[in-house]
Amino acid sequence: MRGRRELRYAAHIEATEDEAARRSALSASMVSDRALRLAVAAVALAGACVAGYLTYVHYRPAALVCTGGGGCETVQESSYADIAGLPVALLGLLAYLAVLGLLAWDTELARTLAATIALGAVGFAIYLVSVQAFVIDAWCVWCLVNDLVIVPLLAVSTVLRVVRPR
Amino acid sequence: MASQPRATPPSGAGPRNRNLLIAAAGAAIVVIALVAASLLLRGGDDDTEAAPTTGTTVSPSTLLDGIPQDRAVLGNESATVTLIQFEDLQCPICKRYQEEGFPGIVEEYVRPGKVKVRFSGLAFIGPDSEKALLHVLAAGDQGKLFQFADALYQNQGAENSGWVTDGLLERISGELGLNWQKLQKDADGPAALQQANSMASEAEQRGVPGTPWFYVQVGDGVPYQVRPGSFEIEEFRQILDDALSGS
Repeated sequence: MRGRRELRYAAHIEATEDEAARRSALSASMVSDRALRLAVAAVALAGACVAGYLTYVHYRPAALVCTGGGGCETVQESSYADIAGLPVALLGLLAYLAVLGLLAWDTELARTLAATIALGAVGFAIYLVSVQAFVIDAWCVWCLVNDLVIVPLLAVSTVLRVVRPR
Repeated sequence: MASQPRATPPSGAGPRNRNLLIAAAGAAIVVIALVAASLLLRGGDDDTEAAPTTGTTVSPSTLLDGIPQDRAVLGNESATVTLIQFEDLQCPICKRYQEEGFPGIVEEYVRPGKVKVRFSGLAFIGPDSEKALLHVLAAGDQGKLFQFADALYQNQGAENSGWVTDGLLERISGELGLNWQKLQKDADGPAALQQANSMASEAEQRGVPGTPWFYVQVGDGVPYQVRPGSFEIEEFRQILDDALSGS
């Protein structure tokens, strides 16, 4: 009799712990998604600022000066800075703005599209860094900040939003 | 009795993985399209990427014909307004200024005798800058500093790629009708080096951060820095008209 009561008591405790764990996981998942959403917004905004600056100096070359340490002007003046007349920096700016728009929409499809853009940006960033290293033989610091820091961060945060439970 | 975490199948994991696969596939298509477009539709003629080592043609510009030159100063010596240009012959932005901004300034302000331009060459990008600068200054001894600089910009190669070859300098010298032996001697002489050092000192004293960098001097006044928003003639028109109206 006593043994059966202990068993029931243990089962009750287990059920309660499971429920608590489930609620805690659900709560943590919600908080994490909110934090991820903020992270995507912050990274996309930072990327938009960098891409916006690079677009500005593309159209206003007088804003750029050659300095001893940097090859930014060489990269910006290179033929690889344009695709069919459109500055690569402008494409980047449009991509960041698209991610911000998709963040506001925030459906499953929007998350998938944002991850598509971010993963595509990673692949293109690898190509652009390779071009700087092996073809142009000059480094643009702001391009590297974008390609090696902002784009990977954006990819990680957007992919996490796709794979995490909602 | 310790409770064991139950292995419950995550709800929606399948669709989420499917979405990730869709995103990855879409991204792969985007990357392939962008890289192909970049390789096939890239802009410009890439004249800064290949060092012109042989067979380069120099087309002497007629822009400067008939305009007086006194070493590093172009234009009417009695013009009260001077545009001072700090430039490095390897700098691609300087090349862009030379192509987009300089011709309009020459035609509208220098040729009519309203403004004179002072070349102030720097050599901070690398060895090719120094070699180019010393030869440009030496060309100044034969009255063609600005033509020589223009020809070098036309043939500008990738930074520090060794594009300023003796062959290129000799071809430019020949096209401009200069005495190549004298040019070489002057470029290696103390006067050109002293002039280059003097320009570098002036840049350091003024805190010039890079090139192209501009100052305007009215009469014997203190030169003041100007920052054109673009190399369009409209930008320089405003700057130079202001200076002329105050002179």
